[in-house]
Amino acid sequence: MDLIKKTNIDFVTNRRSFLRLSLLASIIGMLLVLGPEIPGLGLPRLIEPGIDFTGGTQTTVSFANTATTAEQVRGALGKAGYTSAEIKSFGKDGDFLIRINDVKDEASKVSADLVTELNAAFSKNGEKAVILLGADNVGAKVSAELATDAAISLIIATIIILLYVAFRFEFVYGISAIIALAHDVTMAFVISVLVNKLGILNLELSINSLAAYLTILGYSINDKVVVFDRIRENREKHRSMPLAELVNHSLNETLSRTLITGISVLAALLVMVFLGGDVLEGFAFTMFTGIVVGTYSSIYVASSFLIWYTERVKHKNVGAVAHTEA
Amino acid sequence: MSSNNWGKWLLIVLPLAAAGLLLWPTINYSLLSSERAELAADTSRAGREALARWDVDNKEAFESARAGRMKLGLDLRGGAYLTLEVDVLKLIESSADAEAIDDDFRSIIEETRKATANSDVDVLTVFLEKFRARGKQLVNYFPAAELTEQAVEEKLRRDATGSVDQAMEVLSQRINKYGVSEVSIQKQGSRRLVIELPDEKDTVQMRELLQQTARLEFKRVLMDRRMVKAFYAVDAAYKAYKSGAAPVVVDTAKAADTTAKDVAAADTAKKADTAKTAADTGKANDPYKGLSEDEKGRRIIADFPLSYMVFGSVAANEQSQPQQFDLVGLKINGVTPEQLPEKGIYMFRIPAQKLQEFLKILAIPQVRAAIPAELDILVSANGNATKPGVQPDYYDVYGVAREADLMGDVIEDAYPSFDNSNQPVVMMNMNAEGSDQWARITGANIGNRIAVVMDDRVWSAPTVQGKIPNGSSQISGSFRTEDAMRLAVVLKAGALKAPVQIIEERVVGPSLGEDSIRRGLTSTGISFALIILFMMAYYAVGGAVADVALLMNILLTVAGLAAFGGTLTLPGIAGLILSTAMAVDANILIFERMREELYAGKTLKSAVEQGFSRAWSAILDSNLTNIAGAIPLIIWGSGPIKGFAITLLIGAIITLFTAVVVTRAIFQLLIASGATTLNIGQKRTA
Repeated sequence: MDLIKKTNIDFVTNRRSFLRLSLLASIIGMLLVLGPEIPGLGLPRLIEPGIDFTGGTQTTVSFANTATTAEQVRGALGKAGYTSAEIKSFGKDGDFLIRINDVKDEASKVSADLVTELNAAFSKNGEKAVILLGADNVGAKVSAELATDAAISLIIATIIILLYVAFRFEFVYGISAIIALAHDVTMAFVISVLVNKLGILNLELSINSLAAYLTILGYSINDKVVVFDRIRENREKHRSMPLAELVNHSLNETLSRTLITGISVLAALLVMVFLGGDVLEGFAFTMFTGIVVGTYSSIYVASSFLIWYTERVKHKNVGAVAHTEA
Repeated sequence: MSSNNWGKWLLIVLPLAAAGLLLWPTINYSLLSSERAELAADTSRAGREALARWDVDNKEAFESARAGRMKLGLDLRGGAYLTLEVDVLKLIESSADAEAIDDDFRSIIEETRKATANSDVDVLTVFLEKFRARGKQLVNYFPAAELTEQAVEEKLRRDATGSVDQAMEVLSQRINKYGVSEVSIQKQGSRRLVIELPDEKDTVQMRELLQQTARLEFKRVLMDRRMVKAFYAVDAAYKAYKSGAAPVVVDTAKAADTTAKDVAAADTAKKADTAKTAADTGKANDPYKGLSEDEKGRRIIADFPLSYMVFGSVAANEQSQPQQFDLVGLKINGVTPEQLPEKGIYMFRIPAQKLQEFLKILAIPQVRAAIPAELDILVSANGNATKPGVQPDYYDVYGVAREADLMGDVIEDAYPSFDNSNQPVVMMNMNAEGSDQWARITGANIGNRIAVVMDDRVWSAPTVQGKIPNGSSQISGSFRTEDAMRLAVVLKAGALKAPVQIIEERVVGPSLGEDSIRRGLTSTGISFALIILFMMAYYAVGGAVADVALLMNILLTVAGLAAFGGTLTLPGIAGLILSTAMAVDANILIFERMREELYAGKTLKSAVEQGFSRAWSAILDSNLTNIAGAIPLIIWGSGPIKGFAITLLIGAIITLFTAVVVTRAIFQLLIASGATTLNIGQKRTA
């Protein structure tokens, strides 16, 4: 089989528009997601960081009676004194996620108490009406540490990737890669927050979901390095070719590989999105969006930035030389 | 075949053999587990006996498979995970002299609490820095035997590190007492403990256990023939309790359920003793005469629910040979407790596997009431081994005074040391009030034993050699160095009051765990199958070669993880997905290059060589970039991030080997066997 014939698509002529559009989209998306609620525009607060980063308790329960509604659960918990509980349905009918953020102490007891209260409120004839699916109780100290650890390790990993790419290629390649990676993670994050807010999938930001973003980073940097490698090779082969043309030629040459790899990985992830169950589906979805965005950014963000930056630096240098001659 | 080709074959076969070897415990464990589950499903008597025999026969194989197997994380199998933190600052605060504490001291404590709140730094170091920054002297605040700055600092340091060890000892004893199997307790960082429980149902009780404070007591050992009488009294009380009380129907059913297993276990555990009993029983009026062995075993357990487990010995003095007896045998032979020697050194022990059953009976209040008021029956905290070098196989049973003579909070310090003949000993100091009482107690009990009891388990029962006037005692015995260290830790449990807090708890219920494993495994399997089929469809023979390498990659990555003792978690699966994607990508890169070369009219041999050498730089750089990125995540990342990065690191290293070295070797073998054309999905006309 040979699906992708030799191509000669023009990827670079509109590079500035693509670059501007992509960066604008990430910035607006980020502001939208991280920004506060704007009641005037009917815009709610979009981001919902999980208790891993805020501290608190989160209990997931399953009702034997699948017709139980979130309202009924809220009513029962309110009566039992848990007025600040947030209730969210997820997964199958009758499954709920109950979150309480403002637990002072004894956080570890809350989940067990909740299940007892719910059983008392809903059970008839002494049958168990509610079973505990899972509970997470994270102290404020741990949540602060998790966030710091995640941030520190990510920043250092980014710097090391930048240095490695700069060392193996050129500094500008490292910068281009990092900008594209930031774009990929931002876009995947924005999409996940929106999908989570719409209630399609449970994509709350947790310490586990960080691994999905790390996977995006890894896949995306792989994609960029393959393109950069081809540019490096072609630069030796066609010494007189202008950079834009060189990049476009390299993108076309690697296009077949980019698409074949992308399609096979995306197909595998799609299976997990639909069949993976509560645990894998959210994970796979975030990776899926990230890989789509990452494939796009190899072509339109990393390469576009590479050309733009190199030409700008060259212009400056030419300008400087011209100046001294005058 | 040239020797060169042998090398290539080895390159393919050796890693597979290594992966098989590393994954064998995991495979064996799942085989043995399903074998056991099959036997356990048969609840008939024959089935139970078969299970009991299986447990005995396969104990070692099962244990070693379990120890070496690839562990699944909480998110993939269900269970509970708790992080506890020892409040070292509270410990520092409470060890200061209450009268010396002033506002300065309090504000230093407060500052230290703030500075250490959000990280796992060493609390004592931070405290000392802040303390010294204000020009304060430790000696003005902390009582110590030797009043120098250095001595006080050393003592605080010892207490702080000791408090974590101590919390660990106390908690493991409680957890073992509760009988939760497969619980792991590990130290994390400078002042944390991580506890993992396989079953979420245990967490409620566990939480209660964890938050009690340790109770350390000194009690006189009362071991004489009255003990035997007490054991029989417990038997009777338990029988009455079982037949009289309705709510224990479940218990009796369970007891009946385990009868066959008990008999089998008891048989193997104490062959020598039972043989002796059998010989003895021949002579007297044996009420069990003429019964089948099986029936007899059941009757004995029903008649002597507690004492069938107990084996005793009595010696006239320390030099003479102890005489062994078992309590069932005595009764059958018509020997009454009064006929046993009045003076003598009595010892009682129970087989290790009977511990839970023994403690369960003694925990029932109605049963305890049958024990004489002044006496209490307690079990040693740790198991002992009959022979050196084997697993602990028995526990000592002690009779001690019910009232404590002295509480452990009088202990000021305890530490392991060595005596003149270089034997490990434990040194113990008491405060003034404790020393006075200790002098009185030891003076009155010369030649008798005093038990060190923590949470109702006996840690040590040394014989008093003489009156100890100043509270400074030396406990010696047949200790190993680590025993002495543990005893010192336990002795300090009475003195140190460092509270333990649960700061993180994660529970995954079994229904969610089971469901997520099943769906996760199925979907992951389908995903991989899809990639494998796609590669074969798109790259034909080339794809099949890549698939071999891909399967090898997954196998080796998982084997690598198992070899490093890693745990497979959800983030780990993400790492596996990424490294697999990169392995697929490496082969796609190579094949695309090969096709380019073939279209350019190259021969197969040169197309293969060019394909590999041209694709190499891209494969190397992309994998090395990911390896470089994974390393800081392993060093600075916490749990899940680390799990992801470890899998990615192993996977990326293995990708460089399988996707390049192995596929290349296979191609070269194909060419060496005479292939001049090869279908890698290129256009036929080329």
